[in-house]
Amino acid sequence: MYRTAAKRLLGAGLITNRLLRIRSPKLTSTIIPSSHTSNLCTQSMVNTESPISNQSGPTAASTATGEGTRRKPRPEIQEEQARVLSASLRHVPRLGWTEEAMMAGSRDVGVSPSIVGSFSRKETALVEYFMDECLQLLIDRVDSGLDLQNMIPSERISKLVRIRLEMQVPYMSKWPQALSIQAHPVNVPTSFKQRAMLVDEIWHSVGDGASDLDWYVKRTVLGGVYSTTEIYMLTDDSPEYRDTWAFLDDRVKDAFDLKKSIQEAKYFAQDIGAGVGKSFEGLMNGVMHTMSTRRGGGGSSSTF
Amino acid sequence: MAFRSISRRFGSRLLTYRSSSLASLLHSHATSFGFQEVKEEEKSKLVGNVFTNVASSYDIMNDVMSGGLHRLWKERLVGKLSPFTGMKHLDVAGGTGDVAFRIFDAVNSVKRRALRKVDEESLEETQIYVCDINPNMLNVGKQRAAERGLSDNKSLVWVEGDAEALSFDDNSMDGYTIAFGIRNVTHIEKALAEAYRVLKRGGRFLCLELSHVDIPIFKDVYDLYSFKVIPNLGELIAGDRDSYQYLVESVRRFPPQEKFATMIADVGFEKVEYENLVGGVVAIHSAIKL
Repeated sequence: MYRTAAKRLLGAGLITNRLLRIRSPKLTSTIIPSSHTSNLCTQSMVNTESPISNQSGPTAASTATGEGTRRKPRPEIQEEQARVLSASLRHVPRLGWTEEAMMAGSRDVGVSPSIVGSFSRKETALVEYFMDECLQLLIDRVDSGLDLQNMIPSERISKLVRIRLEMQVPYMSKWPQALSIQAHPVNVPTSFKQRAMLVDEIWHSVGDGASDLDWYVKRTVLGGVYSTTEIYMLTDDSPEYRDTWAFLDDRVKDAFDLKKSIQEAKYFAQDIGAGVGKSFEGLMNGVMHTMSTRRGGGGSSSTF
Repeated sequence: MAFRSISRRFGSRLLTYRSSSLASLLHSHATSFGFQEVKEEEKSKLVGNVFTNVASSYDIMNDVMSGGLHRLWKERLVGKLSPFTGMKHLDVAGGTGDVAFRIFDAVNSVKRRALRKVDEESLEETQIYVCDINPNMLNVGKQRAAERGLSDNKSLVWVEGDAEALSFDDNSMDGYTIAFGIRNVTHIEKALAEAYRVLKRGGRFLCLELSHVDIPIFKDVYDLYSFKVIPNLGELIAGDRDSYQYLVESVRRFPPQEKFATMIADVGFEKVEYENLVGGVVAIHSAIKL
């Protein structure tokens, strides 16, 4: 629903994303909340453009008024930060989701490691960037013609979750650290939102168009399946994670069975409700009739 | 001293009135010595006199005036900087070494932790340069270093220099801090431009400075404290009322937070932000050079 709504509102996504990007300098009076949100919004915008961001041609050149001639065009700060984060990912398997990895990444890009100090929550920024990147990769895979037509829904879901989890395989040795970072109370809102978007994306790709209570149930259930599989994967030693995929298939099957039983429970509740409602209506009719006859037939019978 | 300052005020007032008022508006900071108007060339000499007088009791007066809070402010500044091993850092107007010592401690404790994960590049030498225009302040700093047993340490380098004309190479510093110093510089834009010049790509600029308070009642309390209490404290403890009168006046003449942030951005810095501490009594401006 996020993606369908976004498509409807923004039309051609990429082009309008570029237009929506705000130029620096950003002057803010409190640093931590606002710079983080600006990072998050523009990072996802940057991600959609990452293949073509190398010619970092700013359409609006300089940071200050009227001094453009003095300065050559320079990359936006968010692009630079994204490049640093991207380079840092290469060092994560060795150094973990830490400042050291980010400093090594910044050296790779040719920027002073001081820039790491400007990330408001350092390791968290790296983890969140990775999550956004993976989501984007998943979207790209789906858009570039992943063959889902011949599969039943439960298989489609399995396939998509598997694709997404396979992106984490290179970092598996340090993934518990990433999970613990995401679980910090400060970071929970963002990580929850990222996972919600991921789950929504998977359902969207499976072809689900529901928008009633079912929407929440589906996403919650899939969220549960995804998280349990992710954690199972942490301790899986089987070759190519075979056991994990078997676990995943079982969980998806259970979820669909659960869905059926929830549906049945809903119908059952409706039936009971109808029954109770009929008897309630009958009761009220009786009461009103009694009252009107007591008044001596003056008023008309109640119709409400 | 009072008579001399009054006559100077009359003389310079005639001078500035004759010269274009527009210029004096543009360079109002450059020609202000507290609430007095002075010639640009004179300002650095006057400021120099102030600091020569206060150097010996500078640290004590900081403690008394801020109730010890200045230590927390400097901790916050260094925390924001996130120093790392192998860093080349420049602390300008840092005469007595407060900020430099904190950075040194931070780096060395991080180093002990990071020794477990040896990364060859980070075994470069950390260099912390402390630059100050006033040799008396530098001497106090060197003395404090000696007390800590750091006088032979190669990481701390004490340099005499002018913030408006630094003697360091372009693109040579990972970090630049100036704590309670930029207010005393005659041409703020020049100091900012120099900061931009010496920083590497990705290097950070951090400025800790007394700034403007806008909160209604607190502002009045703060003004009362500044103008009534501080000069008296200066007289009592440092024996120098005028220097502290200059101090509180210069805080009022310094540009407010937003304006200063604009000035930083004009020089070319990116991601310019500021954080108010104690409701605006102190502000930390930060920026990155890209």
